[in-house]
Amino acid sequence: MFNVITALLIVMFTGLSLYGRVSILLLACVSVGMAVFLTYFNSHSHNEELSIDIMAQTSRLRDFHPVLKFWTLIALLFICVASKSVYTGIFLSIMMMTLSKFAGGLKLHNYIGVLIVPIRFLLIGGLALLLETSPEPMGIVNCNIFGIWLCVTPISQIKTALVISRAFGAVSCLCLLSTSTPMPDIIAVLRKAHCPEFIIDLMYLIYRYIFILTSLHHEMHNAAKSRLGFKDYRTSLRSTAMIYASLLGRSFQFAGKNFDAMESRCYDTGISFLQRDHQISPIQVFVCAVIMIVSAGLHFLPL
Amino acid sequence: MSEILRVENISYQYSHRYVALNNVSASFNAGEMVAILGSNGAGKSTFLLCCNGVLRPQSGEIYYQGQKISDSKKDIYTLRQAVGLVFQDPDSQIIAGTVESEVSFGPMNLRLSQEEVEKRVDQALVQMDIVRYRDYAPHYLSGGEKKRVSIADILAMQPELILLDEPTASLDPQNIDALEEILHGLRNEGITIVLSTHDANFAYRIAQRAIVFAQGEIIADASVDEVFSQTETLRRAGLKKPLLFEVYESMQKSSTALESEKKPRTIEEFKNFVGV
Repeated sequence: MFNVITALLIVMFTGLSLYGRVSILLLACVSVGMAVFLTYFNSHSHNEELSIDIMAQTSRLRDFHPVLKFWTLIALLFICVASKSVYTGIFLSIMMMTLSKFAGGLKLHNYIGVLIVPIRFLLIGGLALLLETSPEPMGIVNCNIFGIWLCVTPISQIKTALVISRAFGAVSCLCLLSTSTPMPDIIAVLRKAHCPEFIIDLMYLIYRYIFILTSLHHEMHNAAKSRLGFKDYRTSLRSTAMIYASLLGRSFQFAGKNFDAMESRCYDTGISFLQRDHQISPIQVFVCAVIMIVSAGLHFLPL
Repeated sequence: MSEILRVENISYQYSHRYVALNNVSASFNAGEMVAILGSNGAGKSTFLLCCNGVLRPQSGEIYYQGQKISDSKKDIYTLRQAVGLVFQDPDSQIIAGTVESEVSFGPMNLRLSQEEVEKRVDQALVQMDIVRYRDYAPHYLSGGEKKRVSIADILAMQPELILLDEPTASLDPQNIDALEEILHGLRNEGITIVLSTHDANFAYRIAQRAIVFAQGEIIADASVDEVFSQTETLRRAGLKKPLLFEVYESMQKSSTALESEKKPRTIEEFKNFVGV
């Protein structure tokens, strides 16, 4: 169902933003092509937050120096957001997809599966930007709804293209980061950047507890299901409430035990782990520099 | 045998519950393998938490190598480092995102140098045979592997005595065998092992001495053979005799010639014993 809506949104968005700029045939091909591409490659993904972790754990880019990777991608994100050209965003989106596919060894449908949520959001936002209301028809596409004209003007097309390409490029940078860097590595980079200790400690614990509580929730859900806890709407509501209440209780229990276990290993103030030094290879620095220079250079290309 | 840890008349009461430990005394000597037996809620876990210094008993004293452990941070840290505690559920012990960082948590807390921490982590990973999982996230490991990680956690702190709370809980037979091997290995390296369990068969196979808990009190502290021959003690503690022990006893009743033989504790020993 979501896939159908996404596909329709893609067709609408691509069609409206390119209308009047390319021939109708090409327009139809591009819109339908984009919709088929994204929905086809999204058809296998599920349980995103946990599968991102597995992708990051198994990515070939995992061994890429985390500090270099993190700061390069953050810098690219800023370059993309600050860019005045749509090409920076397009270049970065394609670059990130290529890198995660060929350098990271990530399957394309997994990558799209992660991106599809922000894509849906961007499409809806993009449509809102694209359509302007006016008392009379003034665009290249006009539609009358209850006496008000919804118009797509060439200016709104350009504005939308810029905003969406910036946003999509930036999201792609973050997508590459999160599918190639396990959370502990990111936390370690933030610690090196002198992020406050208590935030770092919380991040470590939250990361660990997401998995413990998710699996606990899963078990409780199954246990409730096996006792007909979800047989109708009323029972489902009741079971869900009970599961979450007991999950809260269990998490307090877990926290208590965990604190005991930390104390038994001489925990005093601050959680610290061994950080081995990664070697930065010249190739890694070169790749990062090239991508940054190209992205910054594209800024000067006219739309 | 030199004494490592001694507890004298310790008592502990959780604020909302009955008395968990009532006037308990015991001592552990270097190189021992001791099983703490008792049913659920008998006070075994509380006893282990007190021995490690996480819980401070409301009365009584703890001595480490003859030195009384005071309430000072220094004393408590000395105790926690020398007497490691492996928790029953690895998930309530493991906090890090990778196996390597998890094992490094203890040594890092001891404020050791980077090289020393690296050395100890490597050593513990090798000892527990989990080097290949070094960069794995703990949540993708199986129950048996997590148990190894939780033991490596403690080994990296190089304790003299390791307390294990219900180490066989939720392990399959194969992993229990592997655990037994690990524990024998540690003992051969000179580490004293104290483990709590309600699995009499496991305790009988592995331990030399048994301490029996019932309702927060120690009701027996003797060699394993002696403890398991005290039917009344076992009944009070809600425990069963080990299967092989019972088989041996039954055979003994039918034939007096068995008296001088060494009692078989494992299936292999039993097969030798009956000549199969």
